Order: sequence, then structure tokens, then C-alpha cells
Amino acid sequence: MDTAELEAKVIAFIASKVENIDTSTITTASKFEELGFDSLDTVQLLFDAEETFGVNFDGDEVKGLRSVGDIIDYISKHPPEDLKK
Amino acid sequence: MHIVVTGMGIVAPIGTGIDQFWNAAVNGVNGITRIQGFDASSLHSRIAGQITDFNPADFLSPKQIEQTDRFTHLAISAAQQALADAGDLENYSPRRLGVSLGSGMGGFGTFESSVTRKFQNKSMPPFTVPRIMANSAAAWIATKFGWKGANLTCSTACSSAGNAIGMALDLLRTGKADAVIAGGAEACVLPLTMSGFEALHALSTGFNDDPAHASRPFAQGRDGFVMGEGAAILVLEKEEQALQRGAHIYARLAGYGCACDAAHLVAPDIDGQVAAMQAAIEDAGMTPDQVDYINAHATSTPLGDVIETKAIKQLFGERAQEIPISATKSMIGHTIGASAAIGSIATIMTLHTGTIHPTINLAEADPECDLNYTPNQAIRKNTRVGVCNAFAFGGNNASLVFTTR
Repeated sequence: MDTAELEAKVIAFIASKVENIDTSTITTASKFEELGFDSLDTVQLLFDAEETFGVNFDGDEVKGLRSVGDIIDYISKHPPEDLKK
Repeated sequence: MHIVVTGMGIVAPIGTGIDQFWNAAVNGVNGITRIQGFDASSLHSRIAGQITDFNPADFLSPKQIEQTDRFTHLAISAAQQALADAGDLENYSPRRLGVSLGSGMGGFGTFESSVTRKFQNKSMPPFTVPRIMANSAAAWIATKFGWKGANLTCSTACSSAGNAIGMALDLLRTGKADAVIAGGAEACVLPLTMSGFEALHALSTGFNDDPAHASRPFAQGRDGFVMGEGAAILVLEKEEQALQRGAHIYARLAGYGCACDAAHLVAPDIDGQVAAMQAAIEDAGMTPDQVDYINAHATSTPLGDVIETKAIKQLFGERAQEIPISATKSMIGHTIGASAAIGSIATIMTLHTGTIHPTINLAEADPECDLNYTPNQAIRKNTRVGVCNAFAFGGNNASLVFTTR
């Protein structure tokens, strides 16, 4: 999967999770809190991202994940088996 | 001071909404089918009373669904119906609006799925605990509808909703609330709960190929209860205030009694059951000779139905033969912590409509069960005082008395 494809998939995933937000405004720079996620919502979001993309966010690194782009970067650096193809 | 029922909502295997449920109950519709939600092939009891035509997305956002267990979905749906039925409650201060709910198992489906993940070394869903906790449904009802007063949850196994409705009565009588959403919810048609009850030989195992005849309280050949799921909610308030706001009144909740066997954790006890019924009737300021309908606990276990029959005979004496009794579980199975709330709605509708719903699958009664259980066909009869029974593991017995105004 190339970067553009991954980016589109992550943004589509985030768009499916937001409520009362114009999904066309979501970019890689969008921070979770700007999208209406409080801290507990963010934990749930990252859990759902793990399930959706087959990754496991490391306990320490997870604290640094604050934006859509952070998820994309993490998945790019730690690609699950089926994304390496 | 009288406490009255001004709103009702229900999600049950034979119908969602009071009209659909009551129409099915009066017509003796069977709600027991083969288990559809998971592969039940390893179970000995592969049938249940399930709710199939139900979608939480009709009233919750995707995020809210993610944060809630099925028992909470069922509870919110029933509460939403009951509040719509009750009408305008805007005159009450939110801090005077309470919730009192029962659930035996809480979010057990979430418990099962999260435990499975844990043992597979997968990450834990962050809402695991708030989904499982037994008070999750009560808390969500309060949050969704802005009811900011007392928020209680009672977990006394199969009598949970009976105790919860009784606790609501206490809140209103003692002036701690002006209106209470009361009832119960359960969603444990699940591999682990079913296996657990199977291990106690509590479930029916002989009717997997004939689910419609499996739940047969008081009948020959009954071999255990059939698991069910559902939720039922009452809106309760003081009669005077209900009349002032022009509310429609279904019935009075006149009495509540509870007693513990303190003898055996799972075996039923005649004296405990008698004590609960007696206490509820006394609490209503009445005597046993005034009771003219009983909604029996009657789960279809070989022992339980005989013990309840004996308890009714002990309390009501010769009059026991005259009192029409019915077993709602014959149609929907045993909804554990919701069952007394569903039985309460059946009792209220009996008083309200002058029709007694049947106990189905009662072609031939057990010789030891020799009362009038309203077999197979509904009867028309005006009744004024109904007792709803709920007897539970833990030796808990709870009875409620509803009356016409």
C-alpha cells in the first residue's frame, strides 16, 4: 500500500468515527481534540484503529499519537504483514 | 400516598412496545427459537427467547453504541418508550427524577468478549469496564434523558427488577424523588452464561428440536428454564402529581415485599416465597383474600414451579384454587434480571385491560401443580389486585402488588 492510499484509508476511518464534524475538513494535520475526541474517546479511537489496520500501538509511543498524521506515520513505520505487500 | 404507573416500555422476545407485547401475550405467541446470535452447537441447551428485530442505531450514535453493552441498548429502548408514554414530565426538577434498575448479569456479553481478547493477548477495549458494570444501563438512561436524582441498580439475580421496582417505590414514598424510571434489563443469551446455568442443570435440554414447547411452566415433562433476554421499564410517580399533570394512569404500585431464604443459594424455599408475598400484600394495606391475579415467577424448572405452587397454597389457603395465575415465561423464557419488570407489565396490563394472558404449553399439568394457571387460552376477567412474583438465586424473594385505582 502506498502512502497516498494509506492516508486516504486512515482519513476515511477517522471520518467514520467523528460526530457533528464536516468530514471534508479532516486532513493529516487534524488533531484528535479538534475533531471532538476527548481523552477517553481518543483511547477508544486508537483501539479501533488497531483493530482496523492490524497494528499494535506500543504503550509508550501511543502517548505521542495526537493527530491523523501521527496514526499514518505509525502505521508506515510499523506496517502489519498484510500492508507490506 | 399512592404511587402510580404512568408510562411503560418493553423489548421482549414476543414484541417491542406495549401493544405488540401485550397482543402477543394474550394470543399465547411463542418467542422461543434456536439460538441465532452465536454457534451454540457445543451447548446442551441451544434455544432461547431472543430479540431479533432490534437495532440500537435507531436511537444511539455509533460512538454511543461502541461504549455500551446490549443490556444497556435494551434498557434505553424500553426507557425511551416509557417516557414517551408518560408524557410531559417537565414540571419536575431533574434532581427529583430517579432511576432504579435491575440486572442480574450486567454487561456480560462485553465481559465474555473482553476476556476472550485478554487470553489471546489482544489489547483491551477501553470501554470494557463501563460497559460491563451493572449500573451502566441506569447511568446511560440518566445521561440520555437528563434524570439527575437518585440512580440505583439492584443485582439480585432473577429478582433484580422486582427489588429495583420496590426500591423505586421506597424512593417515592420517602420523598426522595418525584418520578422514577424503574425496571430491569438483561442480555445474557451468551455461551458463558448458558454454560454456567447448564452446569447447574437449570436449563431445558430436551427441546432443542422443538423450541416452541420448551418453556412449559407447571406442565408435565418440563426440564428446566429457557434463557431469555429483554428489558421493561415503568415510569412511577405520586398519584396526586400525576393527576395534576393530567397523566394517563395504568395502575397503582401498592406494595412491595422482600425476604431472603437464608437457607440455600440456589434451591427455592416455600417459607421465603410466602414471606415476600405476605409482606407485599401487607405493605399495600391489604389481605390475601383481596388478591385476584398472580403473575407467577414460574420458570419451568421441575422443582421451582412446585415450590411456588405450594407457597401460593400456603398463603392463600382454599382461595388459591380460585385465583387465576399466569406464567409469562412460558412464551419468552427467563429474562433473569428483567423478568420481574416484564411480569410487572403483564400484571399491570391484566388489571388495565380485563384480560389474563395464558400460560402456554400447558396441555397436561404436573399433578403437583394443581392451581388455575390459565392454560393455553387467555380469559376475560376484571381483576383489581395483582401480585407479581420474582424468586432468585441467593434465596432472594421479591413480590410486588399492583392494583386498579
